[in-house]
Amino acid sequence: MTAPPTSSERSAEARSRRFRLRAVDVLAGLLVVVLLGQRWLVDLFDSPALQTGATIFVSIVVQALPFLVLGVVLSAAIAAFVPEGFWRKALPRRPALAVPVAGAAGVVLPGCECASVPVAGSLMARGVTPAAALAFLLSAPAINPIVLASTFVAFPGEPVMVVARLLASLATAVVMGWLWLRFGRGEWLRIPRRDHLVGRSSWQTFRLTATHDFLHAGGFLVIGGLTAAVLNVLVPTAWLDAVADQPLLSVLALALLAVVLSICSEADAFVAASLTQFSLTSKLAFMVVGPMVDLKLVSLQAGTFGRRFAARFAPTTFIVAIGFSLLVGWWLLT
Amino acid sequence: MTREVQAILLLLVGGAVLRISIGDTYLNYVKEAMRPWLLLSGGLLVVLGALAFVDVLRSTRRSAAVDTDPDELDPAHPMAPPDLDDDLVTDGPVDDADHGHHQHHGPRAAWLLLLPVLAIFLVAPPALGAYAAARDDTNALPPSSTQEVPGLPPGDPVELAVSDYVVRAVWGDGRTLDGRTVQLTGFATPDPAGGWWLTRMMLACCAADALPSKVKVLDTPDLPADTWVTVTGRWVPGGGTQDADAIPLLRVETVRTIPQPKNPYE
Repeated sequence: MTAPPTSSERSAEARSRRFRLRAVDVLAGLLVVVLLGQRWLVDLFDSPALQTGATIFVSIVVQALPFLVLGVVLSAAIAAFVPEGFWRKALPRRPALAVPVAGAAGVVLPGCECASVPVAGSLMARGVTPAAALAFLLSAPAINPIVLASTFVAFPGEPVMVVARLLASLATAVVMGWLWLRFGRGEWLRIPRRDHLVGRSSWQTFRLTATHDFLHAGGFLVIGGLTAAVLNVLVPTAWLDAVADQPLLSVLALALLAVVLSICSEADAFVAASLTQFSLTSKLAFMVVGPMVDLKLVSLQAGTFGRRFAARFAPTTFIVAIGFSLLVGWWLLT
Repeated sequence: MTREVQAILLLLVGGAVLRISIGDTYLNYVKEAMRPWLLLSGGLLVVLGALAFVDVLRSTRRSAAVDTDPDELDPAHPMAPPDLDDDLVTDGPVDDADHGHHQHHGPRAAWLLLLPVLAIFLVAPPALGAYAAARDDTNALPPSSTQEVPGLPPGDPVELAVSDYVVRAVWGDGRTLDGRTVQLTGFATPDPAGGWWLTRMMLACCAADALPSKVKVLDTPDLPADTWVTVTGRWVPGGGTQDADAIPLLRVETVRTIPQPKNPYE
């Protein structure tokens, strides 16, 4: 936005401004139409498949909302109340060292993956090396105490599953941080700018950042929840049984299932345990991939850090996470 | 997206969350333990929305003092907000000479937040039922402790969760159920092979991870899908054991149709 706008840009801007000035009318009109069409809408959702999809969609959004609110409150607090130079002092100066430290620090954020995206964005905006913030982004939802405890409960008699999950997730997070440090390019990553959200007081900055982050991330959460609900209803469960006894294919299948289902990292261990026909290693892959790459998370990442970032980061994370699941599974679970 | 719309969206989303969590509707989607967090986050969103609204009113009043026609669509108008969309581009520079009048940067994606609001207020999706239960073949997770299943509590009939009945029948070989009359509550899922399964869904976190527990009922007329019932009956062998896909049997003595319980899940 530094180059002076051309005349066509300017007229487009004026047009879109005219449109947006009336956004509130659009909203009001939309609500009237929907209210008048309620009967029709309810009839439309009469089929059991659509209703199941709608229930799953609302469930994913309702389940994720409190965690998203926690995340935007934390990220707003980081933006408003943590002094500018704090993170530089708190983290090792060398980025290569800051990555594992930030990855291990993921232990302290007790939330699921929706909370960690705005927090990681806020950390970057406050000067934390992107690689370290990304390691935190990946590790926080995967290795926090609530998630490890639920894994312990879901796999009775297999406490090694907890260790395997911790090791594979942490290794994936740290390696992804290092990969970003080595190969990542600044222009892929849109670090969320916060300058325009600085208010007269810290309190106002807090409020403006929280509002902005919530509206932004919330929209992308909806995209992810919608996609997950549609696939949840459309994908037949039979294809899972077909690959269950193939060692490599089953790992890939469960990793893909984790991406599609988009369930909260605090619950995924129970779902993994329910996939009884699968090997422990493929269940491990399900639990390592899920908190790092799933539809609602990729959508949130694309919204927060830009599409160019998500298009590179998510597939790479997927591959690295499967790699470490295989490695740790081969080491501990066979 | 203007700041009015941002404020309205926050109020709508917060209001929808409060609406389902003040009543019992939230139990169709998530676990009971989520309630305080839903109330808290819904309340917080409503407060943020209300404060954003106050901001809008304040700046409108100020602009009315400057200009009597705030609706004029003039790009050069001092109050025409530089509504820079930060959907996928970096935010543009902002005139922050006047901190009191915060320029807004509503992301376009936020419009999508209307979808769950509309779904909650208009469609009100019901709890998962027979359709979802029939999709899942896994029925009996191995019990979560390796200890011997404890004996049934006293009572005739004794009230059991459907999942408890399934685990006792499949993984405890029905030993603790033998000779006792049990009472189970669930909904009817038609069995493609004829008859129906008494079914209850179990949540770990939200309805996206629901798992069904199914019991094949014998000696009872067919019921339409999703009819809620309380049945009493006795366990009979033959449904299979030590297998996650096994569906245990129940010889029914009484069937009573009931309204959907407050918490549709176990």
